[in-house]
Amino acid sequence: MSMNVQPDLEFIKAMKEAGGDTLKQCYQCATCSVACPLSSDDKPFPRKEMILAQWGLKEKLIYDPNVFLCHQCGDCTEMCPRGARPGDVLGAIRAYAYRALGWPKALATLCSSVKNLPILIGIPAAAILFCWLISGGMHIPAGEQFARVGYTQFFGHWDFRLLAKNVLFIDLIMLTAVGIALTSLYKGISALWKGMEASIGLKDVPYRPSLVQFVKKFLWPSLIEILQHNRFRECTVNVDRVKGHRPLMLGFIGLFIVTCYSLFTQDVIGIFIPSMHGPISMWNPVKLLANVSAVAMIGGIGILWLNRTKMEAAGKATNTFYDWFLIWMIMGVGVTGLAAELLRIIGIPSLGYVVYYLHLIAVAMLFLYMPYTKFAHIAYRTFAMAFERYRESSYIKNPLNQ
Amino acid sequence: MSDTAGNGAVLVVGGGISGITAALEAAEVGIDVFLVEKNAYFGGRVAQLNQYFPKLCPPTCGLEINFKRIKDNRKIRTYTLTTVKSITGGPGNFEVQLETMPRYINSNCTACGDCGQVCTDEIDDAFNLGMKKIKAAYLPHEMAFPRRFVLEKNACSPATLDAVKAACKYNAVDLDMQPQTFTLKVSSIIWSTGWNPYDANKITNLNYNSSQAIITNMMMERLAADNGPTKGKIVRPGDNKEPASFAFVQCAGSRDENHLEHCSYICCMATFKHISYIRDQYPEAKIYVFYIDLRTPGKYEHFREKFMADPNSTFIKGKVADIVAERDGGVTVIAENAVTGTKIHQKVDLCILATGMEPALGAQGKALGVNMDGNGFIVSDPERGMISAGCAKSAVDVYSSGQSSTAAALKAIQIGR
Ligand SMILES: Cc1cc2nc3c(=O)[nH]c(=O)nc-3n(C[C@H](O)[C@H](O)[C@H](O)COP(=O)(O)OP(=O)(O)OC[C@H]3O[C@@H](n4cnc5c(N)ncnc54)[C@H](O)[C@@H]3O)c2cc1C
Ligand code: SF4
Ligand code: SF4
Ligand code: SF4
Ligand code: SF4
Repeated sequence: MSMNVQPDLEFIKAMKEAGGDTLKQCYQCATCSVACPLSSDDKPFPRKEMILAQWGLKEKLIYDPNVFLCHQCGDCTEMCPRGARPGDVLGAIRAYAYRALGWPKALATLCSSVKNLPILIGIPAAAILFCWLISGGMHIPAGEQFARVGYTQFFGHWDFRLLAKNVLFIDLIMLTAVGIALTSLYKGISALWKGMEASIGLKDVPYRPSLVQFVKKFLWPSLIEILQHNRFRECTVNVDRVKGHRPLMLGFIGLFIVTCYSLFTQDVIGIFIPSMHGPISMWNPVKLLANVSAVAMIGGIGILWLNRTKMEAAGKATNTFYDWFLIWMIMGVGVTGLAAELLRIIGIPSLGYVVYYLHLIAVAMLFLYMPYTKFAHIAYRTFAMAFERYRESSYIKNPLNQ
Repeated sequence: MSDTAGNGAVLVVGGGISGITAALEAAEVGIDVFLVEKNAYFGGRVAQLNQYFPKLCPPTCGLEINFKRIKDNRKIRTYTLTTVKSITGGPGNFEVQLETMPRYINSNCTACGDCGQVCTDEIDDAFNLGMKKIKAAYLPHEMAFPRRFVLEKNACSPATLDAVKAACKYNAVDLDMQPQTFTLKVSSIIWSTGWNPYDANKITNLNYNSSQAIITNMMMERLAADNGPTKGKIVRPGDNKEPASFAFVQCAGSRDENHLEHCSYICCMATFKHISYIRDQYPEAKIYVFYIDLRTPGKYEHFREKFMADPNSTFIKGKVADIVAERDGGVTVIAENAVTGTKIHQKVDLCILATGMEPALGAQGKALGVNMDGNGFIVSDPERGMISAGCAKSAVDVYSSGQSSTAAALKAIQIGR
């Protein structure tokens, strides 16, 4: 094997920042590929990824499905005879890949370093403050009014029936964030998919699945598998993460449903029945779901927080911004959300408004930075899992395609 | 008991090939030498080998002549079952306290074997790494030097002890022996305490205990030895099956920061040697060697080439990281072949872990003030009158052990002057 390997300083620096600088310790013994409970017989990992990273072949790594299939359990790190910490290195490669696949580049780069944290918080903070200022809602309600409307008039109120003023501003902020995130993910996943196909030498395939077939055969089974957390359960050293990750994920799904519901009621039904614009009753099943989900989310992220602290204390994981930023953001969303609600119930409007502002910032951050932070795994890993199925399917293995 | 041996005396701790060599080198220039050995016999690990490279001769051919030289040399005093308890003083005037454990059989013993005949209690055969049981009154191995029996008193019932004592015609059984401590005055100390096989149980992912089909390389030496538990027939422990396939797991516990960080240097060579043992008995057997990289020092290159060319031997670059016991008594070893990039599940009848050499002195050495490196090897420190030799110093073969022992003897002599 002879090749001209140019050391890629930018890549090496990125690896270092994301906790992957142990990679040079690797001497290619392949213990990790056997230790990894998720690595397959035909395409084992992470030994190969370690040598690719040593050689700085980042193009190969960004489009390597294995990089995204890894669940960061740390079983391989535990067994590595050289302390090369392959689990952490794969995490660092993912961080690099999210950045490389992310759009717009500037935002992706911003999300890669703790140094930028003030700016990362500052962007949504300023945007929301600006909206608040121009919305004219700039007053904090008295106790009795606060009890009635809660935060639904944070951005003020008008008598225009079709769309509540508050909803307009929230939509403006959040849909912008979501829009950027979705565009970024769409670009990223398309690039990833093409890259993954190219990596297995796929160019002209006579039979490609239709969109329906693709969803049915590859995407949907992957989603079911993710829901069940089967792969998480395969881990040994950190199997406890399931206890945190699963409630967290279910909490997110719950909140997603609630958001969709309120988007629908407020933005669509609200056009016809303006009373929909008020706060939802405490005993509405949707509100109940929201509260249960919020608790699951906070509990789940709390468990993951403790778990990660424990792993780092035991030297089983490296402390990186990449890992913590997401934990902080989710914790921020959960805690501010719950606190705002409590403040409303006990009726302290001024503090409530401040906390609600922080809550909006946290939610906006979570949406906006999703494609560039660890959060991106929900999209990239899902598609890598779908690709894994696709790669083994008759579309690829079919002799007609050879 | 106290011994003063005048100026320049040397204490050699550990009576393996290195200690023996160092003792002889020093004694043959007229220095007083005390050679102490923890076991009941001299020869160390080499005595346990079936054959040893480079010439693949039996260990007796190297050891026996040295034993004879020791017997003939009046400058060397030997102590078995003896270890160092404490050290005071410094170069030129060490005072070393030693302790000898009771053997319960005195020097009248002619090794006639009558006591073993009547003894009904049994113990694990340590020389054969526990692969068989022996009587509690025993000769450690056929070629043991000194040629004297040992009685494992703790393992015997009072009735057995009576019978053993009654059986001896030479009045050699002494049940009242006690541990004895004594002091030696020496100018320098040579540490040649050698190595122990790394405990395979500690390599948890290899599941050593899960199957009798998993053995260590030292067990392979004993299985292949004529004076071993199977009289030299390589069969699977437990069911005595003649294996049709073998897997060698290189670097088992070596080059691994969770175990031994160092390369044990000889286990790649030992594996090639074991392939030659296997080929003598099973010319057609399939052999799979899993390795990270094969380390064969230059002088042994021809050896490697010969066995790499064997059509029934496959060499796979990739460390075995999991072993699964199978119902038929065999095992499946799992590795990733780093050349093809796919995982292999290889089922074999017998699996040999190439376990490495762990320095034997361990924590005791630290307590005695011996200078040791991070891996537990003893750092030669002539300034402080302590010199290391052989595998106590670094993981090496017999030939290099001999060289470092000669060098150690020279340094020790200089300290005495
Ligand atoms: C599987 C295998 C196969 C090998 N095959 C070969 C081969 O074919 N050719 C080759 O050249 N080399 C071979 N070697 C290496 C060889 O065994 C060593 O080079 C050799 O044993 C070194 O001798 P030594 O005297 O330094 O140590 P040892 O043989 O270990 O002797 C040390 C002695 O010190 C004693 N001792 C330990 N601690 C104390 C203490 N505290 N107080 C008193 N005494 C103590 C021990 O009981 C022992 O008798 C092989 C090694 C292995 C693992
Ligand atoms: S990362 Fe560790 S276990 Fe994996 S190949 Fe490298 S050294 Fe071996
Ligand atoms: S961290 Fe876990 S899933 Fe990822 S490569 Fe290592 S063992 Fe496999
Ligand atoms: S102790 Fe006595 S009986 Fe036993 S071997 Fe020695 S001489 Fe023979
Ligand atoms: S000699 Fe070979 S088997 Fe032994 S530790 Fe070194 S490389 Fe591994």
